[in-house]
Amino acid sequence: MNSESQQAYIKKRQARFRTAPIDGQALKSLIVAGLTWLRTNQEIVNSLNVYPVPDGDTGINMVLTMQAAYNEIAESPERNFGKMIHMVAHGALMGARGNSGVILSQIWRGLARGSDNIGVLDGPALAHAFCMARDTAYQGVVRPVEGTILTVAKDIAEKAHASLTETQDPIEILERVVLEAEQSVERTPELLDVLKKAGVVDAGGKGLFFILEGMLRYINGQSLDTPTASVQSLSKMSLDDTLETIEEGQDYEVVVDFRPHKPLNLQEFYSNLESIGTSIQVGEGEGLYRMHIHVETDKRYEPIDYTMSIGTITKVHIENLIEQMEQIERQANTPSVNIPPLEPGQIAVIAVSPGKGISQVFASLGVAGIVEGGQTMNPSTEDLLDAFEDLPTDKVILLPNNKNIIMAANNAAELTVKKVAVIPTRTIPQGLAAMFRLTPHGDLDAVAEEMNAALDDVDTAEITTAIRSVEIDGVNVKEGETIALFNGKLFTSAKSLEGACTALLEKLELDEYELITLFYGEEVSNHAANLIADGIRASHPMLEVEIQDGGQPHYQFIISFE
Amino acid sequence: MTGEITPIGSIHVSPRAVARIAHQAALESYGVVGLAPKNLMNNLTNVLVKDPMQGVEVHYDGEIVIIDMYIVIEYGTRIKSVASSVANTVKYHVEKALGMPVTQVNVHVSGLRISNWD
Repeated sequence: MNSESQQAYIKKRQARFRTAPIDGQALKSLIVAGLTWLRTNQEIVNSLNVYPVPDGDTGINMVLTMQAAYNEIAESPERNFGKMIHMVAHGALMGARGNSGVILSQIWRGLARGSDNIGVLDGPALAHAFCMARDTAYQGVVRPVEGTILTVAKDIAEKAHASLTETQDPIEILERVVLEAEQSVERTPELLDVLKKAGVVDAGGKGLFFILEGMLRYINGQSLDTPTASVQSLSKMSLDDTLETIEEGQDYEVVVDFRPHKPLNLQEFYSNLESIGTSIQVGEGEGLYRMHIHVETDKRYEPIDYTMSIGTITKVHIENLIEQMEQIERQANTPSVNIPPLEPGQIAVIAVSPGKGISQVFASLGVAGIVEGGQTMNPSTEDLLDAFEDLPTDKVILLPNNKNIIMAANNAAELTVKKVAVIPTRTIPQGLAAMFRLTPHGDLDAVAEEMNAALDDVDTAEITTAIRSVEIDGVNVKEGETIALFNGKLFTSAKSLEGACTALLEKLELDEYELITLFYGEEVSNHAANLIADGIRASHPMLEVEIQDGGQPHYQFIISFE
Repeated sequence: MTGEITPIGSIHVSPRAVARIAHQAALESYGVVGLAPKNLMNNLTNVLVKDPMQGVEVHYDGEIVIIDMYIVIEYGTRIKSVASSVANTVKYHVEKALGMPVTQVNVHVSGLRISNWD
């Protein structure tokens, strides 16, 4: 696409956007666009953050703040612009993360305050809202530091206001605002010495620019998933994870190494590539450029033809992504734990397991499939269905092994034609206890009943680190302390892992139990687990103590009491 | 450690100097509109203090430096984010100036200033 036809395309898109009023629902689309574009360029914003160490991750903080703003309105059918933007502001405030997030939330608050009683956004209202955003943002600090996101908010407010003499059209005002934001960001090093010394522009300002630009790009129908023109060093160019971003229809990955005939105009280069495909990355090293792109099947030679027109190609690499994906999926599906094949017609047990070690134990007890997941990573209903739909049996038992997964398991049971029993196991030890009662050739209902009965045979303790300070079940916990949960209830807390284990055992009636099995998590070494087990053996000689490599994340120990 | 012995004498940094640095850092933190008197009994709550010693407490105990900040925050900002950002900024600036670690920065939000109701 040459720039003339691109301009015409943008004008057409804008005209289409203009025919619909900019109401609450249009605002929602714009928020999504701003959030998406910011997220796409998040790394660029993060990388600018060399200044005050205190706020180390501006890009992430701004994305999380915008995400919270969007979550607030995601389900809302509100059509009134003013009401909707108040909800956005509320969401941003509640989710404000870090310094940049707080300022961003104030900007939204100002925009909202300026949009009271605005049902449909027009030019003057937009300019007024930007001015209120500036005022509100500046009110939040005694000594505003210039050369930051505040300056950008100020510059765009003035630009929006000044634009009113030329146009009343909100989209044209937004175009001017985005341009001004870009230039204002570029000027930040002149105002703030630490930026100049570090050779960067202000991260927060850049983030604000991306949000606004994302909205404009959405209106213009431009892609929101390809980072803006930027060149990495060849050595840093990582193409491994691009598979995650495959879009439908973009079946081929093309990588071209070339030496341009004349210095590359990056903006133009990018916009030409954008008309061909997605997931564009460009790397450079000693005059050699590497271009990476995902394209449709019938466009797979276009990037090569295009690159040939501007330089000398040294190497070309084309790969069928769909094929590659399938291969990776096949590899992923070959479980790292060895699960013996199921005899046709047998009861197939599918267990959810958070770690490799635990999976291995389940495999040794005869499960037919493992679904990875746990407390922080709940598998979906679909993940569970996938695990048994292809097995050569119509009798299935699901062990969710976590209270948050029981629901998904029940859904899976309803969505299949197979006969599925869900044993509501809330913990790994319960799942294992149930497995001991499995008779693979039995009648499904009878076996399920038998396995259900096993749940009371075992008690479970989980040792983890508190991620925030709370008081629950009469236990007062500070963030960072090690806590012990017993059968899902907060039981005790301590400063150290050993301390938590000792405190836990002291509070329990240990006479009831004969065997304790400690499944140690990925953060705990075998040595450390052994030391703790030895400690328990020494203080409780009547108990048999076993340790197992569980490999689960987050939980230092999952402990089974039998 | 308020002082340091060098071959030619000792360096002593007064709590007031540290309080001044912390005060400056706090005022540059977004969301903070001022320091409040730490002892509310002596003052009206809505008075912002000019003297940093009134809104900042600095304790030295050997190697341990503890700073308590009493701040007033702009209404409408997320207090938790602002407070943790103040703690970080103060710690950063004081450590940079003193060249020694600050053990604790405790932020006390004494009040809110309301510029606008939503």
